[in-house]
Order: sequence, then structure tokens, then C-alpha cells
Amino acid sequence: MSAGTPERRSSSGEISAEVVEACRRGDRDAFRSLYEAYKDRVYSIAYYYFHADSDAAGEVTQQVFLKLMREMSRFRGESAFSTWLYRLVVNACVDRSRSRRKDAFGEDPIVLERMATHASHEDLFAQREVAESVQQAIAALPAKLRVAILLRYFEDLSYADMATALNCSIGTVASRLSRGHRLLARTLAPMRETIAAEPPPKA
Amino acid sequence: MFTRHVDKSLTRYSDGELTAVEERRIDDHLASCSKCRAALDEIQFSTRLMRQLSGVNAPSSVWNGIDAALTEWRNDGSAYGGTLPTGHVFGRPLRWAVAVALIAIVSGGAYLWTRETTPRPWEVAHTMGGARRMAAGEWVETDSSSKARIIVGPLGTVDVEPGTRVQLGQVRDSEYRLALSHGTISAEINAPPRLFIVDTPASAVVDLGCAYTVTVGKDGAGELHMTTGWAALEFNGRESLVPAGAICRTKRGTGPGTPYFEDASIALRQAVDDFDSGKDARRALEVILNEARIRDTLTLWHLLARVNPSDRQRIYDRIAAVAPLSARVSRDQILALDPDALRRWREELAWKW
Repeated sequence: MSAGTPERRSSSGEISAEVVEACRRGDRDAFRSLYEAYKDRVYSIAYYYFHADSDAAGEVTQQVFLKLMREMSRFRGESAFSTWLYRLVVNACVDRSRSRRKDAFGEDPIVLERMATHASHEDLFAQREVAESVQQAIAALPAKLRVAILLRYFEDLSYADMATALNCSIGTVASRLSRGHRLLARTLAPMRETIAAEPPPKA
Repeated sequence: MFTRHVDKSLTRYSDGELTAVEERRIDDHLASCSKCRAALDEIQFSTRLMRQLSGVNAPSSVWNGIDAALTEWRNDGSAYGGTLPTGHVFGRPLRWAVAVALIAIVSGGAYLWTRETTPRPWEVAHTMGGARRMAAGEWVETDSSSKARIIVGPLGTVDVEPGTRVQLGQVRDSEYRLALSHGTISAEINAPPRLFIVDTPASAVVDLGCAYTVTVGKDGAGELHMTTGWAALEFNGRESLVPAGAICRTKRGTGPGTPYFEDASIALRQAVDDFDSGKDARRALEVILNEARIRDTLTLWHLLARVNPSDRQRIYDRIAAVAPLSARVSRDQILALDPDALRRWREELAWKW
């Protein structure tokens, strides 16, 4: 599993207009470079959206890029390319969880299996335990709050870009984040002492 | 002075999304309101947690699926305008990132297979009715009461048992590839080696011209039963050769275990499982050495490369006691794990298998 890569997110900026144009013409190499630039961001969002399910993340990533290739001609450049891409990611995640819910039998054996295989590397155990709890808490958030939290704190999108990607107002973005925070903080309250990521503020 | 609570603005405040004027208003309020300070503390705690998540790299298998779909669209002449595959394109990619190939080996007899320049598409028939051609990337799934049969071009057939999920791979240069996610398939293949491969989460089965059954559990662990011929289980350079009548288990991450014959003693079979899982391996090895028949040199031969030098010597002695070395192989070569010598010795021992 590649979770744990030090690089949280790509520092590369927007993809150039030339690459977008070449993709529109069906240039496979251009599409590949576009894929390389964004694949990890797309994959990571889906990975955490689906509770560290690498199968789901892979499927969503494939769907997103295939859709991207097919609908490239509809990208008019009125928003940043990445914002448009995030919109596709959000839709793909939501669509997938909807279709899954229809045929779900309840407990997801894949999640259980993954949790079982995660119990290794004792030296990383404590860290993993925290990461696992955080992932679990994120996965338990209502879908809209989950997406908002991931776009903001994992992808560092601005409120304005999030509003475009989520097709809602900035006020709605703020309110979803706020509700997401409250739920996460309360679910994970028992971990406060374990984490202590930052020293307590000086009195 | 008390001002209105500012909890609705605290997320924007914490994220630096407010104007300087608004920020000052919040600062003033926070200085005198413990309720809002507690709310801000929750937001900051949750933000810190989120910042602990690390990026995850998309595995290369994700691109392979995209690439396959693009090729299909292009071949359809649809210039990416074809139907977007729904559901799984080439899904479960990470699962296959650790895939080992299960390779079946051609049995000695003449095979009827003739090389075809144009590979045939997959054909799948379900017991519930209906047979149709299916494309690479599609899944064949059976529920608890149905079965399916996959026609592997000119090579043979694969029966898909109930409760199984298997994905059809690309057919390239007459190579046919399946990915078994979970469940059981039985293959009957008559072809030169390595033209039919079954990827499982823990290893790949490469067909060498044989019949076998592969089962993969929900945990990704697999079990190969050889009916006729030979197969090789491969993972990360680790290989187990499995002849007819033998079983080999395979685990995610470690790959193929040590093969043993189904008719070996219960104690030996249990000991092999224990050895492979590292459970009291020392005692397990003693049991294997005591219980081994001539035929179980299959198991002993595989263990040569999987033990420390002193145990290797004991295993060597045990094999040599029942099947002495010919002049073609020396003891020193075997103890030094010389690949050619090991192969030659295996070929001699295989007469007893």
C-alpha cells in the first residue's frame, strides 16, 4: 500500500492549455501526461472517501479519467481545469456509493479484509492506529460533508473553488465544513491525547 | 462587552477565509466567550487530524485499465465517444498490484493447439441461460447457485463455480489472462506454456498445459489443486512448481507456499501449512523430515531454498537417502543453491512425483 507517501499533494500548478487542447484532439501522450499530473490527487480523494478502499479508489480513478477524456471537448476553460476535474471526482464518488448501496448486503467484507491485513509493521502501529481511526471517522461522515472536508483539508482547495466543484454557494461550503469538523472532533475526541500533534497553546 | 456568538464563522476564521475586519470582530468575541473558544478548538483539532492524512499514489494498474479502455474505444472507431464502461473498467487494481502469476506447465504429450494469429474474443455461457461474447475488462460473476463457463479461445475452458468473481483480461498475441478476485475456477487448458495465466491477489498461475482448480478466499489467499499436468505459482521471483495431485497455497504479500501431495500424511500437510505461516517452523520442519515419503521429496526439494544452511543440509540428506544424486549434480552445488543443479535434481526427482 502506498499510503504514507511524504508528498501530500502535487505542487504542480494547472495543466497547460496546450495539453488540454492536445487531449481534445485525442492525443494519447498528452492525455498520459495529464493523467500523471493528477492521478494521485484523484486517487487519494477516492481512497479516503471510500475508507481506504484501494479497489474503489482505482475504479473511481479510472472512471474519472475516462470520463475526462470523453468530455474534454466540453471543458471551456471558464473555471480552472482542476476545479472541473474535482467536480468529476465528486460525482464519481457519489455515483459509486449510490450504486453500491443498492446491492449492499450490509457489512463490507472488503473493509474487514483490509483491516485484517493492515495489522502489520509494529513500529508504525500507533501511527497506523491514528490514521485508521481518522479514516474511519471520515468514512462515517455524511457524503456531502466528507467530500467538503477532503477537498479543503486534503487538497487545499479555496472556498471559491470548492463552491464551483460542489456546485453550491460559499456559505454552504462553510456550513458543510463546520458540521464536518464538529462530527470529526467529537468522534475522535478520545484520541486527543494520543495525537498531540501540536504543543498545547501557551497560557 | 458581550457580542453575538461567532460559531458560524469559525471555520472560515480558522481557514483564513475572512477579511481583516471580520477577523478582528471574531478575535474580540473569542477573548470573552469560552463557548466559541471551545468550538474553535474542535475545528482546529479536526483540521490537525486531517492534515495527518498522507497522499496515496495511484498504482500503475489504474493506468493499464484506462489504456485498455481507450484502445477499445479507438478500435471501435468511436474516437473516445463510445459507451463509457460502467462499474468496473479494469477494477480492483491494487489487489492485482501484488499479483503473482499462476503458471501451468505443458504436460509431456503433444498438444493440439495451433497458434492463431488473431486471438478470439472471450465467450461466456451462464447456467442461468445465455451465452455471449465479452470484452476485456468485463467481470464474470456467479451467485451462490449459478455457474458459468468461459471459452478461452482455442486453448480450453474455465468453469466458474458458484460465488465467484473473475475478470476477463486483454487477449494479446494469443495470450489469455484472467484475474480471479474470489471464488473458485477450474481450468482445462491444452496449450504451450505461459499462454494462459490466472492472476490472483497473492500470485499468478501460469498454465503449462494442464487442468487445475484455483480458489481465492475473501482475504486474497489462494489454493491451487492440480488435476493433471503441471503449473507454476509465481510471485516476486519466488516460484512453486505444482504437479498433478499436489496442492499449493498462496498468501497475499508472501506469494506461493510450499507444495505438497494431497495424499501425504495429515501430520505432514499440517506441518507444511505451519512452516509456511511461520508458526513454530522449527518443529514443523522436524515433522516434515520424519513424515516424508519418496513422493514428498516434492515438498523437501522446495524447502531447500527456503531454510537456513544447516537445515538445508539436513533436508539434502533426507532426500539423498531416498533418491541418491546422479553424477550430473553435486552435493556442494545443491547446498549452494546452484539454479541449474537444483533444476536437474528436480527433473530426476520428478519421476517419483
